[in-house]
Amino acid sequence: MRPGTWQFSILLKLSWRNLWRNRRRTGIMLGAISVGVWAMIFMTALMRGMVDDMLAQGIRNLPGDIQIQHPAYLDDPSVVNSIAEPGGALLEALQNDGAQSWAPRIRVPAVIASERESRGIELIGVEPGVEQQISGIPAEVTEGRFLESSRDNGLVIGARLARHLETRLGKRVVIMSQDPDNNISERGYRIVGIYHAEIAALEESRVYAGLEDLQQLLGIDGRISQIIVFGEDYRDVQSRYLGLAAVLPDGLDMRPWYRIDTYLAAMFKMMDGFVLVWVIIIFLALSFGLVNTLVMAIFERVREIGLTQALGMRPSQIVVQILLESLLLLLIGLAIGNSLAVATVKPLESGLDVSVVAEGMAMMGAGSVLYPTLTLHDLLLANVVVVVLGILTSILPAWRAARLDPIRALNMH
Amino acid sequence: MKNAGLVMAWRNLWRRGRRTWLTVGAMVFSNILLVFSMSLQFGSYDMMIDNSLQAYTGHLQLQHPRYLDEPRMRYALADVAGNARLLRERLGLDSISARATGFALASSKERSFGLQIVGVDAAHEPLVSTLPGLVRQGRYLQPGASEEIVIGSVLARNLKVGPGDELTFLGSGYDDSFAAGVVHVAGIFESGITEIDRGMAQVNLEYFQQVFAMDGRGHSIVIRAPNIEQVDTLAARIAALGIVDNDKVVLRTWEELQPGLRQAIQADMTSAWFMYMVLIVLVAFSVLNTQLMSVLERTREFGTMMALGLKPARLARLVMQETALMTGLGLGIGIAGGFLLTWYLSHAGFSYPGMAEMAERFYLPDRMYPALSPLSLTLGPAVVAIGSLLASIYPATRLYRLSPVAAMRAV
Amino acid sequence: MTAIRCHKLCKTFRQGDETITGLDHVDLDIDSGEFVCLSGPSGSGKTTLLNAIGGLDTPDSGEIRIGELQVERLDRGALADMRLHHIGFVFQSYNLIPVLSARENVEFVMQVQGVPATERRQKAAGILHEVGLEGMEDRRPAQLSGGQQQRVAVARAIVSKPDLVLADEPTANLDSVASTQLMDLFAELNSNHGITFVIATHDKRVMRYARRLIKMRDGKIISDKAN
Repeated sequence: MRPGTWQFSILLKLSWRNLWRNRRRTGIMLGAISVGVWAMIFMTALMRGMVDDMLAQGIRNLPGDIQIQHPAYLDDPSVVNSIAEPGGALLEALQNDGAQSWAPRIRVPAVIASERESRGIELIGVEPGVEQQISGIPAEVTEGRFLESSRDNGLVIGARLARHLETRLGKRVVIMSQDPDNNISERGYRIVGIYHAEIAALEESRVYAGLEDLQQLLGIDGRISQIIVFGEDYRDVQSRYLGLAAVLPDGLDMRPWYRIDTYLAAMFKMMDGFVLVWVIIIFLALSFGLVNTLVMAIFERVREIGLTQALGMRPSQIVVQILLESLLLLLIGLAIGNSLAVATVKPLESGLDVSVVAEGMAMMGAGSVLYPTLTLHDLLLANVVVVVLGILTSILPAWRAARLDPIRALNMH
Repeated sequence: MKNAGLVMAWRNLWRRGRRTWLTVGAMVFSNILLVFSMSLQFGSYDMMIDNSLQAYTGHLQLQHPRYLDEPRMRYALADVAGNARLLRERLGLDSISARATGFALASSKERSFGLQIVGVDAAHEPLVSTLPGLVRQGRYLQPGASEEIVIGSVLARNLKVGPGDELTFLGSGYDDSFAAGVVHVAGIFESGITEIDRGMAQVNLEYFQQVFAMDGRGHSIVIRAPNIEQVDTLAARIAALGIVDNDKVVLRTWEELQPGLRQAIQADMTSAWFMYMVLIVLVAFSVLNTQLMSVLERTREFGTMMALGLKPARLARLVMQETALMTGLGLGIGIAGGFLLTWYLSHAGFSYPGMAEMAERFYLPDRMYPALSPLSLTLGPAVVAIGSLLASIYPATRLYRLSPVAAMRAV
Repeated sequence: MTAIRCHKLCKTFRQGDETITGLDHVDLDIDSGEFVCLSGPSGSGKTTLLNAIGGLDTPDSGEIRIGELQVERLDRGALADMRLHHIGFVFQSYNLIPVLSARENVEFVMQVQGVPATERRQKAAGILHEVGLEGMEDRRPAQLSGGQQQRVAVARAIVSKPDLVLADEPTANLDSVASTQLMDLFAELNSNHGITFVIATHDKRVMRYARRLIKMRDGKIISDKAN
């Protein structure tokens, strides 16, 4: 016989059986907890899906997890602020994570003119092989083809731009841009491909050409605007960043995505905060009912509690028994709520069409299809918060029950 | 008789004081949250719309029917300045201004950039857009002056020019002719909206029409209503003037001009209401539980009352009255609490980490000031009250199932 | 051998404005194996004395010794342990935990004590048989008559072989047949197992079983003699 142990099995038995003494009350409370937990997880999955999508897209459109460029370039993205193509230690470090994990790019403002119209655009010189990774563009080419090599002298423009310019595949357009001496270089190009992008504004402004071809046009041999680096997971760029920082030549500026697009960075940070706040608000709404249920149950059992005290149950055991009752209620509610949530999210995972508010979503940087995402982290958060806060809320009623005076308790009517 | 019922209902509530308070507590919590949240929401929606429209778009625009989808030079309106003046006279409203828009490649000494050039009526443009008031360096355009230009701050930085510097621009005019000019920078504006600061420049309308061979044409007449609530009536008045004609001129509302705004608001509303409904349902559960337990506990008592001659309907009404009183408490305290919290925050402001960056995207300031309105103060609590009353219907109906004898034998 | 020694026990209660004397300098010695009845009208202090001995209530002043334990100095936890291991209680009513079956009620104390399952079951079965309730082990209290419930309570009170059984008006809610059965049981347990019985009652039939009868009035012992 060990004083101080709690003899869980009898406490558990009492808790379980007491839970079902008032089936209606327990049932209603379980209903409430289930709905609350379902709402926690469902809403979180929707938001998480949206934010993940926004972030992934946003970073793809930046582009890149990490960008390396001339210090003045981000403010003044002109051809004047170009850098040399990477070599030496930097090149080695870049290649270390695989040839498909980085790309050189040229990106300068330019003017495109068709017979009828002109527009200001972002002219982007790429190496076609790696471009798929960065922007996914070749996959979204709806007419014609993407560039075949870095020397390709064709042009790939967005469908909306083509419409604005009243031009089409196969026709010629003129590209005008500034060279380092502020002379205008211009040349005719043939449109070899037309692409489609999620975000309309980008489709209207981004025009792709071969990297080496552009170097010629702009008179910047061996120079580029940026080195784009990207990895598996945008959440984790630290190690790559540090590795590159060690070998970065002087005069180059390197930034991770969260320092380039502060909006995305804020979204990223806010998301976890939002989930926590939502979970806590729901829990608080539930907590009133939870305490009420517990207090009612204890009130009905005062004589019985007095009896168990008389029989020799220690105050700590009484506290544990009541907490177990609360815990069981929470666990069952959680089980139901979680199942409901999974059952309702799974069918939607292939995409919830919200194109009716597509432009609004675009304003926020999201696409017109929502992909709710259940992550282990979010599930754990909701469940742990409910259990922990639930037990905390139950401590006071349980403690007061244990402090009942056995005689008065036994004599209650 | 009725008052006696209410008094009894009230006293019944306090037989189990803690239980009543906990149930009311759930209502108060939800109500405060709802009042605050709705005040924040409604206030920020209006602000969002206003801020983004007043920057440049205005509330209404008259345009060529095809211009909205395909903003081309040749989809223009005839005699745009004259028509704007006419409209001002007929409506008795000064905040109407004509514009013409074109594209050009501008070069400074060191840089060249493509940009959007807008010819504006410098006298009336300040009445439809806040841009003229946001000139940070130099000054805005002088009405009638030629060969001057105002540009956005990011553009100025990228072109490396300041007030007084020269810019040459090159574009194509209305008849596909060559449009070129040399201007000097009169001023630099900063709207806070990157697209505008980076890509827009303004010149006087006459100068624009001259350089771009417009022959009096333009692309839009921008109309700004005194406030957003009056937009619909104004649109109706304009329509009544008979100048709208599907072939040549159409009236575009701000919702057509910036569909993203309305939609972003809708999306936000929908998700907010989902969350509100969850809260309301949880409160309803709480009320259901409390009232059901309260009825079941009093089975014997109700049985006695029925044996004495009271009808079930009377007892059901008692239960509903108890719920109504509780709900009233929750409503009253909730609205009071919500009012206090929101009123305080409407002066002190409220922000959370990450808000500044979010706000910029949506034309909102980086500190939010929730705006109390009769609607935001009462809508949430009202729905909570309705939900609670509905929830107590089931417990009340249980009274119809009681048989007095069985009830009195119950423990 | 566990004896009960009470010395100058005092206890007062406040009810509204009045102060009621529960115990007034009570001295009492009870040896182990005795069969004692405390009798007196309600308010005489017999229940208060019983509660004090059982550690359910702390006297305002005075000493109580049970065996080696100085009861008035023990804290709540230690009192609980004392009741768990050394004392069995039988109350007037509401003796059983409603959600447990008869067998589980009997096993309850042993389970809290930490007795292993097989041993528990055996003992419970045995004791229920001894009190004449075999066949009813799985019934819940709501399914047993008043007398049967009391017998389960007795079974539970003695199954872990306590030194002392305290019973407060155990026959108050029973008819005469059940009362007699219950008291016969008490007497048998007292003589067969040597358990000390202290019974508070004002039922004359119960008092006949006592070997020592203590009369109380107004918180004092007014007579204490062999029966």
